Amino acid sequence: MKLDFIPHNEKIIEEMLNTIGVNTIDDLFQDIPDDIKIKKLNLSSGLSEPDLLRYLKSLSLQNKVYSYSFLGAGCYYHYIPSIVDFVISRPEFYSSYTPYQAEASQGYLQAIYEYQTIISKVTHMDIANASMYDGSTALAEAAIMATIITGKNKVILLEGIHPEYIEVVKTYCWGQEIDHKIIKENQLKNEITEDIAAVLFQSPNFFGDIENIEDMVRIIRDRSQKCLIIQVMTDPTCLGILKPPGELDIDIYVAEGQAFGISPSFGGPGLGVFTAKQKYLRKMPGRLIGKTKELYGEKTGFILTLQVREQHIRREKASSNICTNQALCSLAALIYLLSLGKTGLKEIAVQNFQKAHYLKSELIKLSGYEILNKKPTYNEFMLKCPNIEALINECKKKDLLPPLKMSKYYPKLDDVALVCVTECNSQKSIEKFIDAAKNAIENY
Amino acid sequence: MDYKFPDNLKYTTSHEWVKIEEDIARVGITDYAQHQLGDIVFIQLPDLGTSVEKETSVGEIESVKAVGDLIMPLSGQIISINENLADSPELVNSSPFEEGWILEVKFSNYDEVNSLLSVNKYKELVQSEEK
Amino acid sequence: MASKELLIFEKGNGKSHKNFIPKMEIEGIDIDEIIPPIYQRAQLSIPDTPEIEIVRHYINLSQKNYGVDNGIYPLGSCTMKYNPKINEITARLSGFSQIHPLQEENQGAMEVIYETSKMLGEITGMEGFTLQPAAGAHGELTGLLIMKKYFKSRNVKKSKIIVPDSAHGTNPASAKMAGFSIIELQSDKNGEVPLDQLEYAMKEKDVAGIMLTNPNTLGVFDRQIKEITRIVHENGGLCYYDGANLNPMLGICRPKDMGFDIVHLNLHKTFSTPHGGGGPGSGPVGVVNDLIPFLPKPCIIKTSEGIICKSNNEKSIGRIKAFWGNFGVIIRAYTYILALGSEGLEQVGQISVLNANYLRVLLQKKYDLPYNRICQHEFVLSDKGLPNEVVTEDIAKRILDYGIYAPTIYFPLIVNGAIMIEPTETESKNSLDNFVEVMYKIYEEAHGDPELVKKAPNNTSIGRLDAVLAARKPILHD
Repeated sequence: MKLDFIPHNEKIIEEMLNTIGVNTIDDLFQDIPDDIKIKKLNLSSGLSEPDLLRYLKSLSLQNKVYSYSFLGAGCYYHYIPSIVDFVISRPEFYSSYTPYQAEASQGYLQAIYEYQTIISKVTHMDIANASMYDGSTALAEAAIMATIITGKNKVILLEGIHPEYIEVVKTYCWGQEIDHKIIKENQLKNEITEDIAAVLFQSPNFFGDIENIEDMVRIIRDRSQKCLIIQVMTDPTCLGILKPPGELDIDIYVAEGQAFGISPSFGGPGLGVFTAKQKYLRKMPGRLIGKTKELYGEKTGFILTLQVREQHIRREKASSNICTNQALCSLAALIYLLSLGKTGLKEIAVQNFQKAHYLKSELIKLSGYEILNKKPTYNEFMLKCPNIEALINECKKKDLLPPLKMSKYYPKLDDVALVCVTECNSQKSIEKFIDAAKNAIENY
Repeated sequence: MDYKFPDNLKYTTSHEWVKIEEDIARVGITDYAQHQLGDIVFIQLPDLGTSVEKETSVGEIESVKAVGDLIMPLSGQIISINENLADSPELVNSSPFEEGWILEVKFSNYDEVNSLLSVNKYKELVQSEEK
Repeated sequence: MASKELLIFEKGNGKSHKNFIPKMEIEGIDIDEIIPPIYQRAQLSIPDTPEIEIVRHYINLSQKNYGVDNGIYPLGSCTMKYNPKINEITARLSGFSQIHPLQEENQGAMEVIYETSKMLGEITGMEGFTLQPAAGAHGELTGLLIMKKYFKSRNVKKSKIIVPDSAHGTNPASAKMAGFSIIELQSDKNGEVPLDQLEYAMKEKDVAGIMLTNPNTLGVFDRQIKEITRIVHENGGLCYYDGANLNPMLGICRPKDMGFDIVHLNLHKTFSTPHGGGGPGSGPVGVVNDLIPFLPKPCIIKTSEGIICKSNNEKSIGRIKAFWGNFGVIIRAYTYILALGSEGLEQVGQISVLNANYLRVLLQKKYDLPYNRICQHEFVLSDKGLPNEVVTEDIAKRILDYGIYAPTIYFPLIVNGAIMIEPTETESKNSLDNFVEVMYKIYEEAHGDPELVKKAPNNTSIGRLDAVLAARKPILHD
């Protein structure tokens, strides 16, 4: 028994072969030299639905799903309203292709136009595209875009950008022979020169710190008029409270949009939010949906536009090779933001601030623990632990997904945990974490 | 197709036209070129004062479905660009040789002028491409 | 059907709600004490909208959209096959959808990645795979960076890539992103790579290799493929296989056996994961043994302690995406491959080619078929010979009037007025016959009532749109 999605029976195949004018299906493969044809794939036999589901369920159970999470670091557990999955499960949306034929795709085109609109409202940036693969590749493409705009060949990254994002930017830069340098924030004054294409920074950053962006922008602008300023975020729900990049003179703002209603799914698919100032429109990578009118009528409609920027027309002259994006994830983000509304998004941000702050204030009461952040934080902070392994084990015992061991990315920070608290953490779960922290001292 | 070929102009193999007045050359794209591109939606031009080399691309002309390079017919310095094209790129379609001119360059090498195509040569080129 | 659809932003009524906010049990400190007011935004302008308005708005919009669950979706080179519903169930199992990429208890997920890599290896013949890339073009970039790193590790300078003029646009764009310049090769009159020109191009010293899709974008299998890859190899180059057109090759012939060194696949084409209106996709990259050390991080291996990340791969090109790739897409493809098994996959290859040839033979009775031979998964018609100045775009728009989707148009670039058709194996004969009937009718209309075709579409929710206006005065949000 196996699943089979081929609709023809033997008789129909026979009829079709007759129409084509060949005897067997093999005749259709006559262009392929015999010596490279294969006999059979060495794979197992197919499975019927019940057998398949039983197997995959058992496999999924080898991954532990915890009741509560204290892990973030680029992937976040926020509550996802039920209507998000309801809307993205509409087959007219999820089983469609890129909306090339606008007149048969008005539904999706309008939805993406609404996504571009809501992203520009939340970020206050002039323009948002229809999405990139994820936050890390959006940041890398932003860096490349800056080198094209400025004609300069060097980018500066502030440490505090997600370490995996830094690695992605490095890989992309290596491909195009773009120089890069990673510096500390206090080195900005000395490092900005006229030959820098862009400064890339994350805020709130990987360590949890919220940067003084106005100061940073001033320092950069004072030293170079050309240098682009690129901000990245891994959890943009903070924009419910924080000043948006569009009010801070940011040139290109990108984010990982997973926090906007997309399940963690082991880290992908996510959503590459990509926005910029109007003047950079023609250098922007990715799809854009525009509003227009009927050619022979007066109705307003939506269409893929400025496509000459893209690879299928400009080929090797395109600024990016991106083709597929994350349309369905952008639809999820749209529904998420609409469901919350301004009241909800603000409230989410407030709760993340307050709950994380509450845990911080409780943890510093425990001897041996220290909060390393000196700047304000959103929903993540660095906790120096007397016995980090014990804390991790105690969390697991209490069915809490433990925080990140910073040593994964920074071997020197071997006693530091990156703790994440979102609105989904109940008071009880936070108390449990505090107990785990206590036990980690007492019982070891 | 019937295209316009003003005979007071010089031409290039990449379909620009050049109008020489003393040491100033006004440059645009030909009627044939604008036809090939279709409705023009955007023109990217170099900055005023830029020094440019003959046969290098200095700008791009975009339609909905294609993009063409603007290739410099002569070396020199750009002294003027057609500001109207920013808001009305369609002028290149409606009036390629008059209102749709693109830029002016001050040149010094008269030998380069001699290597440009005459109207008859350019007509031949277009006829061969049409086939 | 509603003639005018307001934007969702016009449907908020201003009543605030906290429907999706959990209870705040702890006593929160005043927000101004946590974050200085100068860091805070003054206002947020997204509306508060009643849930029922949101639901109705998007259900109505979905009805103005066409998916493969509505009917045939014959986009050439896009492989719009049926998306099995079981994929959606397995991807949503909480043990897959609710797990964090950095959590330790992940062996189920690691096995999905590991086993999918193995199976893709068997399907393509490649010895190593990465599932990191998020899409086909991302896979191309990855594959080309691998090529670049490989030559760099051998201290050979290679700066050019050969790309035939029939290639997907992503090929040259990806090559440029990897720092290569392009040598474009003109296809011959059969739509194949001319060997003498290939050999000539390869003699230039710094050519890294060739990017090819086979069958190519004309749907033609290049009979000289072994010769092509031999010439490239003999001149010190590598061969890259663009897997966008792998579907008809499933169980028939493998890129490795054709002589390729690197391949990317599109799980959202060949392996039935939904296109989602343009993503998310997944673009795994497979390589031959010699290139395994260059695969992106993280590389995973199976040991006695389970499936783990390999850390000492200093030759790797580095990371090309955060975390593990588009896992939610990978699990759907894994489900599909397990469901079909070896025999099922072979049938995919066979029937996709049967369906394409069936359409080809019937449609060439009315339409011009510039490359007239047995095709593989797709074929390309043109608008040559159509009367009354009816062109490809008109045909495509008129197809929409019959309630089905149009083929890929104006691609590949080597056919003027191209109409590129790929039906896939999941279309029934009834569905194919219906498509043929529509195409015949439009052919008659082009003769008898050309205005009807040229003004099409006439009964979609909106008429033909003004693309020029959209590009001249871009309005990208409200």
